Amino acid sequence: MDERPSRSLALALCFVAVIWVSPFAWLLSNAFDTSAVGILRLPQDPGVGNFGRALSGSSGLQMWNSLVIAFGTATLTVAVAAGAAYPLSRIRIPGRDAMLWGLVLLRMMPSTGLMIPIFFSAQKTGLLNHLGVILALSILNLPFALLLLKNFFDTVPIELEEAAHVEGASLFQIVGRIVLPLSRPGLAVVWFFTFTTAWNEFLLPLLFSRAESGFPMSVGLYAAFGQQGAIDYGFLAAYSILYAAPAIAVYFLLRRNMNTGFAGVGVKG
Amino acid sequence: MSLRNDTKPWLSGGFGLVILASIPAVLFVGALIFFTVWVVTFSFTDLSLVGAKSVNWSWIGFDNYERLFTRRGFMESLWVTVSFTFFSAIVGQSLLGFLLASVMRALRGPLRGFIEVAIMLGWLLPDIVAAFLWSATTAENGLINSVVLGPLGFDSVNFLNEFAFPVVVVANVWKGTAWSYLLFSAALDSVPRDVIEAAQVDGATWWQRTRRVTLPMIKSHIGTNTLFITIWTFTYFPLVYAMTGGGPGRQTKVLSIFMYEQSFKIGKLGYGSAISVAMLLVVGLLAVFYVRLLKEPE
Amino acid sequence: MKISMSLFGTAAAMALLAGQAQADVSIMYADWLADLVEPGIEAYEQATGETVDAIKLPGEGYVERVALDLASGTAADVIQMDSFVVSELASAGYTMNLNDALAGWDQYPSYMSGLTEVVSYDGGVYALPTDTDVRMLWYSVPVMEKAGIALPWEPKSWDDILDAARQIQEKTGIEDAFLLPVGTKRGEATTMQGFYMALLGADVPEAGRNRLRDWDAGKWVGDSPAIRRTLELYKTIYIDEKLGTQATNYATDVDSTIRQGLREGTMGIVASGSWENSCIWDCSGGSELSQSERDGMVNWSEWPGSGLEGTMETTNISGGWAIGLNENASDKDAAFGLLTTIFDQGNFEDWTVTNGRMAVRTDISGGDAYQSDPFLARATPLAANTTGRDTFPGYQIVSALVQQMTADILEGLSVDEAVEEYHAALVDEFGEDNVITYE
Repeated sequence: MDERPSRSLALALCFVAVIWVSPFAWLLSNAFDTSAVGILRLPQDPGVGNFGRALSGSSGLQMWNSLVIAFGTATLTVAVAAGAAYPLSRIRIPGRDAMLWGLVLLRMMPSTGLMIPIFFSAQKTGLLNHLGVILALSILNLPFALLLLKNFFDTVPIELEEAAHVEGASLFQIVGRIVLPLSRPGLAVVWFFTFTTAWNEFLLPLLFSRAESGFPMSVGLYAAFGQQGAIDYGFLAAYSILYAAPAIAVYFLLRRNMNTGFAGVGVKG
Repeated sequence: MSLRNDTKPWLSGGFGLVILASIPAVLFVGALIFFTVWVVTFSFTDLSLVGAKSVNWSWIGFDNYERLFTRRGFMESLWVTVSFTFFSAIVGQSLLGFLLASVMRALRGPLRGFIEVAIMLGWLLPDIVAAFLWSATTAENGLINSVVLGPLGFDSVNFLNEFAFPVVVVANVWKGTAWSYLLFSAALDSVPRDVIEAAQVDGATWWQRTRRVTLPMIKSHIGTNTLFITIWTFTYFPLVYAMTGGGPGRQTKVLSIFMYEQSFKIGKLGYGSAISVAMLLVVGLLAVFYVRLLKEPE
Repeated sequence: MKISMSLFGTAAAMALLAGQAQADVSIMYADWLADLVEPGIEAYEQATGETVDAIKLPGEGYVERVALDLASGTAADVIQMDSFVVSELASAGYTMNLNDALAGWDQYPSYMSGLTEVVSYDGGVYALPTDTDVRMLWYSVPVMEKAGIALPWEPKSWDDILDAARQIQEKTGIEDAFLLPVGTKRGEATTMQGFYMALLGADVPEAGRNRLRDWDAGKWVGDSPAIRRTLELYKTIYIDEKLGTQATNYATDVDSTIRQGLREGTMGIVASGSWENSCIWDCSGGSELSQSERDGMVNWSEWPGSGLEGTMETTNISGGWAIGLNENASDKDAAFGLLTTIFDQGNFEDWTVTNGRMAVRTDISGGDAYQSDPFLARATPLAANTTGRDTFPGYQIVSALVQQMTADILEGLSVDEAVEEYHAALVDEFGEDNVITYE
């Protein structure tokens, strides 16, 4: 199928893209204006001073904290979900689908509603720290991850596993050498989704961190609102760009993997 | 044991490993159920966040649930939430995501990369920043007024004042379309090319091909996507809260904002919990409806 | 599994690194109060050789964090709080009665007694106020001139305010001619700067007639002519005559929007408080404009009563923030030591004057620095006849219900319907016995 885009289609797409990115004009014009006041205008005092301020102080530590939380949550969620999703995909347990849907149903309660039980449980178990944030976010993300991964494992051809079994491979080898490599795109999608959720989480780390040094960037962003009512727009814009950058970098690193990964997301009708 | 007989031999061989690998997930799910039961329990009390009732609370039966219907707030917010979910998730994100994915299949090279990045940027931007971005864009001195309406000779419009609900819907479409786009473009990639080519040879138009061939083949993806974004949007909170705080009046007060205000701003944890439980029941019904739709025989 | 194990290891190590070193006393405060708290911490560490574990938090989510920490016993020893939650926290037994400790502090007698009432509960003082405030009508001077209104503007009744707003809209086309804080997004601003300032002047000042709480009867006021008149005022402004826009009260950042509007002359009259004298220009007191330059651009007048017979000529209500101690502080003496170091005269006076705050102590308000500040000298007399916020346990809920009631008007409900909702919600919360109605 050689379906070259027509000139008009390409133009229309460009138009969509321009509209899509146009709100960023505000972000850029404020980030590069050292006397930014939060309105859209050409920078009065162009410069990168805002970035200097955004990078000073504890933003380095905050970025590290964000990475620990997001990386930890994504990895833990995928590891835990994969461990249960593979057997769920291969063993016919009665009521399996109902169970999975039931789990997803649990997540229809807003997570702020679950905040009180989560906080008190963490406090009782001494988990008011990063590990607690990672565990709590993983618990909240598990139902989605489980359903997505189970559907994904369903699409891995079972014949390959049978062949390996006949040749004497153990379960460990089958999973490690065949199932996981073949599911890389699916794992990447779930990992990335969980990563972005954790990267943007504000309330949990705010409530859980016992010291300022434990705050991630989502909390650090609020330094822009430090003085009662007077927002530091230059700082806010520059800090936002720095904040979004790692998540975008992670997207590009995973992009090739994910494109096919999303195909496995569908549930069987 | 019938379970074992059914099971693939390499799994029954390593049953211990299977159990071991599942334990963490079982524990996590157990914790989630535990938290949920806790919230359900709260919903029958008058527990508060601060003050005397945070220590000396009492059981009040179904009073909180009764107030969902007899006091203003819940039903109004439920309606706002349903419209918000319908327009921004199902119509906006899903349809736009599908159209973009379907059109962009034909595209390769830098233009496609540029558009994908544009779509992803919204998804990756922190909610509070996205809120500022959209408030600034729709403000009286913002992008739309100064670049579009102004030069065309129209009076400038304070969009959040006149059209608060449509503005938050558009902002959420902008923010969330990436997920639907990625999912649909991957799904379309999985449709075998020869099937589409055969339809093309038969002289089917793009619309006929989409309706008769593509859509049925990616039906399961449409189902999953709809379900997921429905759940997310139904419980979504930060963007709207930062943009309008639920106002003016109740125009954009979605249930998650209503719940947050009752629990944390007013401090009625019991009532807030009842709202959470009611949300679970409402979306649960929607989900059952979707799953039914999905499972319908061809 | 291996991955997750090593991940557990890293996360645990990180958590340890991020955890605090063993400190002798801890404090949690919002970042905007850093200028007062941090020099105090430094002085305390130098004087005692102890270490202070300071947790500076963003203003967003601050109230939730404090509430959860107190409830779970993980709160710091010294805690900053809005003065209206002091009685709530005290009634739950979370915060410490300071009466005994304060008796031994030589600077305590200079606190103005009316202002320690706001932080008292059941005969005990549970926190020390950082500042107080008064409320007024701020207006843009160029806008008033353009509208042909005589300056200085001194309204005597609600009608005077509304007339000025009408004139502003007519002559200048400005949409936000009179902004009276409204709705849930503005939180306490709606209750204090908006609703209550009008309520106080809406009826004669007897018992609960012009209040949210009838202190003599010990009941919350569920319905009164004053409440209805105040709602009518909202209706006139936002529904019938559209003298202000609803959306400004729901902007992403309401305060900055309003301050910008006043600064640039795109708004007429705005109901707000004494902190605006610095905040319109720069909250941290960094503006280089002299007081007369500021007054030439944005000035203020007192809030008039409604003009009905027997009502107050001018109204005022005061709030402010406070710092209290955790009932479960491990070393109560150390915690109190840190508290008094923060509020030590020198440090407290510097902060009060630099930030243009209203003093809560006579040794500061009587000092040269405070006396020579033209704005503070002009605004302080307003505090003499002010009303304290109804800081009785439950106020937080009442205040939130008031905000909802004003939002109901924006939604198009009639005054009757809005009051009915309010009354029903009060009864839900406090019971029929604790709610009173005035005819």
